[in-house]
Amino acid sequence: MDVSELKITAELANLNLMEEEFVSLGREVEKILDYFSKMMEADEGSLPAGTERCGANRIRPDEQIRDINPDVLLENAPELEDRFIVIPNVL
Amino acid sequence: MESLFKRWVILSDSTMRKKYEAYIKSTDAKIAAFLEFDVDRGLGLAAEVGKGGELEGVPFAVKDIIAVRGFRLTCGSKILENFVSPYTATAVEKLIAKGGVMVGKTNLDEFGMGSSTDNSALGKTNNPWDTERVCGGSSGGSAAAVAAGMVPFALGSDTGGSVRQPAAFCGVYGLKPTYGAVSRYGLVAYASSLEVIGVCARSVGIARTVFDIMKGQDEKDQSSLNSGTDAPEPEAGVIGVLGGNLGLDPAVDRAYRATIDFYRSKGFEIREINLSMADYYVPVYYTIATAEASANLARYTGIRYGYRPGYAENPEELTRKARSEGFGNEVKLRILLGTYVLRSGFQDQYYQRAQRLRQAIRADFDRAFTRADVILMPVFPTQAFLRGQGGLDQFQQKLADRFTTAANLAGLPALSFPAAVSDGLPAGMQFLAPAFGEARLFDIVRLYEEHFPCPQPPSCKPEWS
Repeated sequence: MDVSELKITAELANLNLMEEEFVSLGREVEKILDYFSKMMEADEGSLPAGTERCGANRIRPDEQIRDINPDVLLENAPELEDRFIVIPNVL
Repeated sequence: MESLFKRWVILSDSTMRKKYEAYIKSTDAKIAAFLEFDVDRGLGLAAEVGKGGELEGVPFAVKDIIAVRGFRLTCGSKILENFVSPYTATAVEKLIAKGGVMVGKTNLDEFGMGSSTDNSALGKTNNPWDTERVCGGSSGGSAAAVAAGMVPFALGSDTGGSVRQPAAFCGVYGLKPTYGAVSRYGLVAYASSLEVIGVCARSVGIARTVFDIMKGQDEKDQSSLNSGTDAPEPEAGVIGVLGGNLGLDPAVDRAYRATIDFYRSKGFEIREINLSMADYYVPVYYTIATAEASANLARYTGIRYGYRPGYAENPEELTRKARSEGFGNEVKLRILLGTYVLRSGFQDQYYQRAQRLRQAIRADFDRAFTRADVILMPVFPTQAFLRGQGGLDQFQQKLADRFTTAANLAGLPALSFPAAVSDGLPAGMQFLAPAFGEARLFDIVRLYEEHFPCPQPPSCKPEWS
């Protein structure tokens, strides 16, 4: 993977990489992708892609459940003003 | 029947408790298995549900990627260093309902990504057999705490071997249940289609009891399932083994052969099986695991919870800075890989192909289990390795996942056990069974345990017992 591809990937992943990270992580990514190409040898033929072993899709009723108090959830917010989470200016 | 936990009923008696806490203090100063340890808080959670369960007064620990209300949930990451969990995972809740006392949270590779626990941003955990060596990972703190005699069992999570490999490195039992057998509610997501909550334990009986308590369908996890039958498992008669050169270190190779000889001498039929997809486990595993990680870890934005940088111009910059400053190198690497294999234009080549090969791996195991009742294989090609030079680098560690990742890709249960102690270090083996065949695993490993009980690291002598 060349540097421009790595830059696009980092952008999509919401990561800022330092110059030295582009080198070190780039090298690791390259090595692993190279290794992934082993999969090209395999004859995957007409196999379907998927993860489900048993296809049952279980869903629950669309009802509001409040087993956690929202005030407790807000205790983990980095910065609060009353019950609002503070973020930098959007515009 | 004498209770399995008899010598572990510690926390109902104040004198025993003092001795216990003193032992933890002196032992964990060397091992550093715990990120947080608080008996009072654990007793508080137990007191909320009343008295009389089979685990009453018994301490246990939980990998710090599984939620326990009132305890931190760091995932070994700087990004969640100060996060306090507002709720408790279903699996832990069930153990507390039986009287168990959750005494502490154990160290791990950041978000479960690694094989040594050295990828934790919050400290290193040493192997109780040799503190110069890693304890394995990613549930390294849990395995080390059990091996050092600090708890009879500790929960871990197994995405690609993360319970079984540290259990093998530390010389304890490590169960990776069937995918879906234990609710994942409260397990912080890394690779959702692969991972499951498991247990490191001091004995097969303890692992079995803990699994029986934790298992079962949970409405809070739609992928959780009941096994569907309570019929006793037929006993295993045929053990499938791997042929050819497995590329094992000599000590692990000797242990594998000796384990096969043991079962042969006990009347089991040993049959060599051919797992034709074995070369693809690791690339398929890392393609799928990193893809899922890149999606699951997108939630860490620095806005609602977690690490927030000192200054950011706007919300986008806030998120980028939080992630770039909050995640460690291995996590960044896996997010980058996962993002790449899912990118438009590359998805067919990597992710889709891996998903198809995963189906082929499953089919391969279905075939293998028509020829054998269980499959015996090593856990890891080496024993616990040294840090730095003389150890394994991150890439070599990934390649060495070739025996553990199969069970995760195929959703199968696997139980690792201390098969031998060689050169002062344990060597672990594992059995795999068809889905929901945990009972078969416990039965066959118990036979081994009767002849070769769980070894104790020479430097750790629990004094309260």
